[in-house]
Amino acid sequence: MTYMLLVVEKVGDRELRSEAEGRALYGRMLDFSAQLKERGLLTLAQSLKTDAAGVRVSRRGEKSTVRDGPFAEAKEMVGGIFLLTCATREQAVEIARQCPAAEWATIEVRELGPCFE
Amino acid sequence: MDRSAIERTIEAVWHMESARIIAKLARMLRDVARAEEIAQDAWVAALAQWSAMGLPENPGAWLMATAKNRAIDQLRQWQMAERKSAIMTHDPDLLGAPDTAAEEADSISDDLLRLMFVACHPVLATEARVTLTLRLLGGLTPAEIARAFLTTESAIQQRIVRAKRTLSEARVPFEVPGPSERAERLEAVLEVIYLIFNEGYAATSGEDWMRPALCEEALRLGRVLAEIDPAAPETHGLVAMMEIQASRTRARLSSTGEPILLMQQNRSHWDQLLIHRGLAALTRAESFGGPFGPYTLQAAIAACHARARTAEETDWPRIVALYDALNEVQPSPIIALNRAVAVSMAYGPAAALDIVDALRNESRLRDYHLLPSVRGDLLERLARFQEAGEEFCRAASLTSNSRERSLLLARMAACERQSTRID
Repeated sequence: MTYMLLVVEKVGDRELRSEAEGRALYGRMLDFSAQLKERGLLTLAQSLKTDAAGVRVSRRGEKSTVRDGPFAEAKEMVGGIFLLTCATREQAVEIARQCPAAEWATIEVRELGPCFE
Repeated sequence: MDRSAIERTIEAVWHMESARIIAKLARMLRDVARAEEIAQDAWVAALAQWSAMGLPENPGAWLMATAKNRAIDQLRQWQMAERKSAIMTHDPDLLGAPDTAAEEADSISDDLLRLMFVACHPVLATEARVTLTLRLLGGLTPAEIARAFLTTESAIQQRIVRAKRTLSEARVPFEVPGPSERAERLEAVLEVIYLIFNEGYAATSGEDWMRPALCEEALRLGRVLAEIDPAAPETHGLVAMMEIQASRTRARLSSTGEPILLMQQNRSHWDQLLIHRGLAALTRAESFGGPFGPYTLQAAIAACHARARTAEETDWPRIVALYDALNEVQPSPIIALNRAVAVSMAYGPAAALDIVDALRNESRLRDYHLLPSVRGDLLERLARFQEAGEEFCRAASLTSNSRERSLLLARMAACERQSTRID
């Protein structure tokens, strides 16, 4: 069963950390990813750059909207993703619980599957 | 969390951690059987404590520490019984200085590899190797293994007990094989992993979910092996082949449970993530340079299909070339027959018919229904309908699968209609 873990951070949290603190957290996440890889569970683990440098795009009919970040209405942002192959849902949830980012962010666990039922 | 949710979570943790724990203990104790028992004790302790107090922050570390402590107790007991004192004095684990994290990570990888080789040791029957691998490396409970192989839990327990006894009596060392045996022993490991995969792949939907889960377990074992022993191209080849085969799982069966042939499958149901992983593993296998082994070649053939967005876009000449190579490395009449099918797609049915005609002399294919089935298909495409009908009839009589038989009889009837129309 394939799951995506989304690391959902509070917008602005990154700016509150010093570079040293940020690097330390990143290091912990790299170690965590390595452990998942050693257990044959990991397909992908990546952090995302801050949404301040991101872009939001939508189309409604002929009209396109392209907005640069930061996005005033957003309180949360996806800070990173994991793509995992797990035996069970419980395993995906347990991995999320053990993820270092669960200490400073919320990990959302989503199974891969079609977008219709 | 309610009790059963806790138990399922603890099982999930066990599934992730047990192989590394058993591997570490096996190195400390030089005894795989005792290692598994002590690991099991640690799990029982975890179940008791965590059910009451919730999971610790790092369950893997808790299990490992608990297991190591019990192993040290065991070693002290043995020392007091004046056995294995040599190991007590020489094992660096027990001299007090802990490994650094890097050393620990490396040594656990080595121990995992040792465990894989031991579980697949040639002194064991194939069935025992499969069971032991799923138990020691897959972290499956005997109950789970029993469900996967449609047998009882006690039958599996017995198999495990006998396998461990065989390893003890044969004094199988907890070591990786030396260079002269390495290739052959690795082949045995790959074979076990592929057997597990095929067991899962052969299961149809509607059966116990444990059976298809075997495919995922085999994939995970393959990926772990590729991580801890990346220098073997065929390991990456096997992983590639399994990933790509697994990518077709959702497309293989109709809504009524009928099997769908590859060329008729709805390719939008092929799992692109698995294909992506499979192609990456194949690239890695091929990066070692040729000549390529059978798993790598079979993966390359599967990759040709995976890359074709529609059946019409299939690169059949390339598939023929890959079958040529496969037939040289692992010659078999079945591979020759598959090659003939590819030849018919690449170069037309007449070219393939010559090959298939020659295969009719193969004693190993005498009762193989796919031989007349393929010959019938080629004859039909050459508008030799009466002969084609006879072949489909022969094929139908050779298969024990009722769905296949119906399919073949239908093709026979269609050929008969065509041949009477022409005449």
